[in-house]
Amino acid sequence: MTTVAAAAHIKAEREIVPSRTVDAALSLSFSLEPFANRTTLAGSHQEPPLKVVRAFTNEDGSAFVHLHNVSGGVLGGDRLATSVDVGASASVQLTTTGATRVYRPRASVEPAYQRNDFYVSENGMLEYVPDPIIPFSGARYLQRTTIHLADGAGLFWWEILAPGREARGEVFQYESVEMKTDIFAVGRPIASERVRLEPLARNISQLARLGPYRYSATFYICRVGLGGKAWVAAESRLRQLVEDLTIPGELLIGVSTLIEYGIVIRFLAHRGRAVARVLYFLWNAAKTLLCGRIAIPPRKLN
Amino acid sequence: MEPDEQRALSELRLLQLADSALPIGALTQSFGLETLVASEMLSVSELAGFLRGYIEESGFAEVVFCREAHRVVNTLAATFSSNRWVGLNQTLSARKTARESCAGSAALGRNFLEALIALDNSPVLRNALVAVKNPPTLVHHCTAFGLAAAVIGIDEDRAALTYLHQSTANLISACQRLLPLGQTGATRLLWDLKPQICDAMSRSKHCSIDDACSFMPLLDWAAMEHPALFTRLFIS
Repeated sequence: MTTVAAAAHIKAEREIVPSRTVDAALSLSFSLEPFANRTTLAGSHQEPPLKVVRAFTNEDGSAFVHLHNVSGGVLGGDRLATSVDVGASASVQLTTTGATRVYRPRASVEPAYQRNDFYVSENGMLEYVPDPIIPFSGARYLQRTTIHLADGAGLFWWEILAPGREARGEVFQYESVEMKTDIFAVGRPIASERVRLEPLARNISQLARLGPYRYSATFYICRVGLGGKAWVAAESRLRQLVEDLTIPGELLIGVSTLIEYGIVIRFLAHRGRAVARVLYFLWNAAKTLLCGRIAIPPRKLN
Repeated sequence: MEPDEQRALSELRLLQLADSALPIGALTQSFGLETLVASEMLSVSELAGFLRGYIEESGFAEVVFCREAHRVVNTLAATFSSNRWVGLNQTLSARKTARESCAGSAALGRNFLEALIALDNSPVLRNALVAVKNPPTLVHHCTAFGLAAAVIGIDEDRAALTYLHQSTANLISACQRLLPLGQTGATRLLWDLKPQICDAMSRSKHCSIDDACSFMPLLDWAAMEHPALFTRLFIS
């Protein structure tokens, strides 16, 4: 093997067989700057590979932050914890710098674990608009997300799950992805998901699951305190919008009010690009409808 | 009453509670199946596979909640924890993110509980109904079934098995009205699905509410789209 080929081989091995594990936490707290109507990053605790370089200020005064994982992805055995505290009346937008790549671990290593805790105080606003999660072949991944919304708090939150590295023909080759998500409004559960995907053990393309689609995405839109009639009207409007976007066999979109204070939009898509485009469109439509302001798409570093 | 007679009485009551003739409106719900049929995604040839997946996912998760509701009742003391009962139903309402599925399950649960109270004036059942009035909480069919089974003296495994069997039978019944599925075919389907029902029952035994996973995004979409169907046989 030539030096160049060997180096490439080692690099590839490192990519798919991690040789170390990490236990890391990222904690961010945001507050509204008095008199300036601007949200700032008031405090942070960062442990590698989780990192935030700085908070930008959007034109509407919200703080905008890229969540970095400088190791390039989630490796087997990693235990990562992200905690975000949005202060009263503060407004925060979080995104990732790219897709969350979940690498294949060694057989003896525990599944990678990512914990996310978000607290949004009174009249605060959190917009969490990350890139997709891509579980590589053989990946084992567990994610738990808990979002606590106080009175008047708002949320735009989505998650996109890709089937794998499609360009390599790697579709549903991961071992397991488990995602637990809970949204509480003033301590009461308003949305909760428990998903465990084991495509090698249970056919994920069965009609009872994804059917002919490869991507699934969920978009939660919440505002605590907003009455039922406003949500029914919002559902009706969003339903009208998605009617024209739905293409059977390519993209399905469903809209429903939650038990209170919110709406969920579900996506099933054959291609990921369609999901991202429609998510941004519906985010803007919903924000205009519910907040009277347009959504500001996140600037990406790469 | 002799213990044998008491057991026999409980069994007969269980049979009646699981009967589709129980007037709770079980035959008015399709839980999204009607949309899948209308969209030409679900046909008779795919039905067996679809229902197997349904039992593995949603059926399994509901059975975990059914078991937990059974455990809410302390049969020895003939009491139950209203906080756990309310919390359990609130959690399940949050899990059913598609309004149509949540409302359908809650309509059946409420009707089931009220029908049973009319038959058996148990203080546990009455307390269960009072507890969900404040704070206003939806009662779901699987939790009401688990609670009722505990009250009439049915053990947890049998309650879980019977609940899943009757809910599968109701789905097949809905399919008979939506698809060219005859009586013989429907009977064969339910017969062949019994091993999956037993498997889900066994797997659910040691599963916590936190681990009760279900992934049925296509059926969720179908439930969300059901109110938009031009012609509907089932309730939205």
